[in-house]
Amino acid sequence: MNETIRFRIRRSPADGGAGNGYQEYDVPFTRGMSVMDGLDYIYEHLDGSLAYYDHAACNQGICRRCLARIDGQTGLLCQTLVTADTTVEPIPTQDVERDLVTKRGRDRNG
Amino acid sequence: MKTIRTDVLIVGGGGAGFRAAIAARQANAETLLVSKGPLARCGASPMAGADLTCHGLGMRQAGFFGEPRDSEEKFFSDIVHQGCFLNDQPLAERFVRDGPQRLIETLEWGCEPYLCDERAIFTSGVGIVDAHLSEARRLGTSFLDDTAVLELIVHDGQVCGAVGLDIRSGEILRFDCHAVVLATGGWHKAYTPVTGSKELTGDGVAMAYRAGAKVANMEFVTFACNVPVWPPVWRGSIVTYAMSLMCGGTLENANRERFLDQYDPETVAIASSTEWNKSFFSFATAREIRAGRGTPHGGVYYVTGDTPWPEFEARALRSYPDWKVKGADFSELGRMLRDGEGVEVAGAAEYFEGGVLVDDRFASSVPGLFAAGECAMSLFGANRVAAATMEMLVSGAIAGTAAGEFAQSHPSSEPPEDRVRTATEAIEAPLRKPSGHGIGHLRHDLQEAASAMLGPVRCGEELEAFLRMLEDARSDRLPNLGLSTTTRSYNKEWIESLEIENLLLVLELSARAALERTESRGVHYREDHPITDNDGWLREIVMSPNRDGVHVEHRPVRVTSLRPPSGTQPYLEMVREMMCAHSDVGGHH
Ligand SMILES: Cc1cc2nc3c(=O)[nH]c(=O)nc-3n(C[C@H](O)[C@H](O)[C@H](O)COP(=O)(O)OP(=O)(O)OC[C@H]3O[C@@H](n4cnc5c(N)ncnc54)[C@H](O)[C@@H]3O)c2cc1C
Ligand code: FES
Repeated sequence: MNETIRFRIRRSPADGGAGNGYQEYDVPFTRGMSVMDGLDYIYEHLDGSLAYYDHAACNQGICRRCLARIDGQTGLLCQTLVTADTTVEPIPTQDVERDLVTKRGRDRNG
Repeated sequence: MKTIRTDVLIVGGGGAGFRAAIAARQANAETLLVSKGPLARCGASPMAGADLTCHGLGMRQAGFFGEPRDSEEKFFSDIVHQGCFLNDQPLAERFVRDGPQRLIETLEWGCEPYLCDERAIFTSGVGIVDAHLSEARRLGTSFLDDTAVLELIVHDGQVCGAVGLDIRSGEILRFDCHAVVLATGGWHKAYTPVTGSKELTGDGVAMAYRAGAKVANMEFVTFACNVPVWPPVWRGSIVTYAMSLMCGGTLENANRERFLDQYDPETVAIASSTEWNKSFFSFATAREIRAGRGTPHGGVYYVTGDTPWPEFEARALRSYPDWKVKGADFSELGRMLRDGEGVEVAGAAEYFEGGVLVDDRFASSVPGLFAAGECAMSLFGANRVAAATMEMLVSGAIAGTAAGEFAQSHPSSEPPEDRVRTATEAIEAPLRKPSGHGIGHLRHDLQEAASAMLGPVRCGEELEAFLRMLEDARSDRLPNLGLSTTTRSYNKEWIESLEIENLLLVLELSARAALERTESRGVHYREDHPITDNDGWLREIVMSPNRDGVHVEHRPVRVTSLRPPSGTQPYLEMVREMMCAHSDVGGHH
């Protein structure tokens, strides 16, 4: 019971990502939780400054705006289950807006 | 501050917004559509199953088998009975009449149907919105995504602009325009689990209300039944909702009793095979949970029931090959059903009947301000069975045309600088508060409370407690919450601080209306008033802001051809009567 797992998250330099660029958080573990559930816990309880694409997240694998590198593999934050300590980074080929949010897929001609 | 000028400003990047943009462009108005999330991948529209309903003759016009015995009159009568006679009948007539054309053009613009029945095609929400987005683009609409419109500017008696926020950069944007169509959807994020995408926070309804517009029917919220509440990764998915319609199955409480057996078998049978399922099963589920017979995570068990596993599995796999649904993997869910464990499910807020009060052209009570789709008052009255996806297209088309014409015949003056400044300051205010985080926590508390006290089953005492909680949140908790960082770039706490004001407002209006309606009808069930009162309550509750707070009026429902019933009767009897009044046309609607 009351197991915790450690999230290691790549942050932007101005937001706690100084030094090696990663910040660590301990999160209570629940079977069947997604990486997004872990980030939600961090945001709500530990660090409200963390940025990940969530304001319009569908949470159902439909919008694909939550793509990130999870333990070195590209995946959806909302559909990847957490089973052990987890490292989360932005997609390396994309410019970073802040923390895990990249400039990907912006649609505007206004 | 960047200023963007357009004739018509459309707020919302779902089906209603795109269809309104198409119509406004066809009316030759310069049109800008602003969406808080990614175009066609946010809101409720792309999450929908989705069905697109139309009467049988319209189905035939569109090239499907349709039901030859069907007629506009029958479909209209069914919709009004399903809405328990609280429908705005002129708008319901428009829905029936315009459906065939909306269906035909949706197919022409590239949406592919998978299946059809007597009154609907079944396709994906993604397919519907993609078809409309590409048509809106082709006609020359301009777009801005990841941008929230946050305040409307009304001057000289008409809407003349709005102020918004580019969520990624944190830049404030000013929009100068001659007409606005709100298409911002519902306030799904006020509840848990959240079924729509997370930016649905009632912004359009709240903005319109603050700008002086009337809102109506705020007490009615439809809960999709059988939505997983556990494990966390499945929360809010509608996969088991759809499965229960396609494959059958039943519900058990924590004592493993099939609690639907205590209800009238005909009611249960109709609810199981039609889209009455949402209101009836969510109601029955909420009652079990409230009676203390809920599962560990606050639901009931969805089990395969009398459907043999091979048959259940075959039907499920037909729609979800390999137990995969879009990006999600449900093979473990299949195992749980096969092994008889069941899946913990409950009703989850899916569709908001309440919204901006509109007339026959989907104009609000503020000149130049229109509303379409879910953020407008629903034409389905107290309960929706036919498709909201069709409602968004019908209303979007009417509102877009009306706004396009209005913008050209009623040019507005420029928004006054001081009004723009006041709106900008309000948006930036959270950045200037002392630090101290916790906005996510407050939102979480609100979601839990709304789900418990403003769910499918209500009572006066709880509604009063809920209203006190909202007041506490507004006056005690919110003022003390600052932000963890004052960066402007993708600052989640900043965005949530702005959203929470809107959530508090729409929840307050909804709870007040629920308290005011001292009867039970459609999706609104009052434990302390379990009677449907056709003598006293064939009225809509209409609310508008005034100096002392909320002004409440009652508007008798507008009737065209179907005379409402009189007298009072127990809620479940009324439900049964409305179900059984259905015409001789089959299908799910
Ligand atoms: C999971 C789910 C499944 C459903 N399934 C069905 C179904 O099968 N059949 C059916 O008929 N109905 C279904 N519904 C209901 C139906 O999908 C909706 O009623 C309909 O899609 C609403 O369309 P809309 O365009 O009005 O709003 P939405 O599709 O919700 O779009 C709202 C848009 O407004 C934007 N927005 C919000 N606030 C702002 C702001 N401040 N500034 C700028 N933009 C803003 C959002 O980002 C979004 O783009 C379902 C709903 C859900 C949640
Ligand atoms: S949040 Fe939409 S795919 Fe993950």
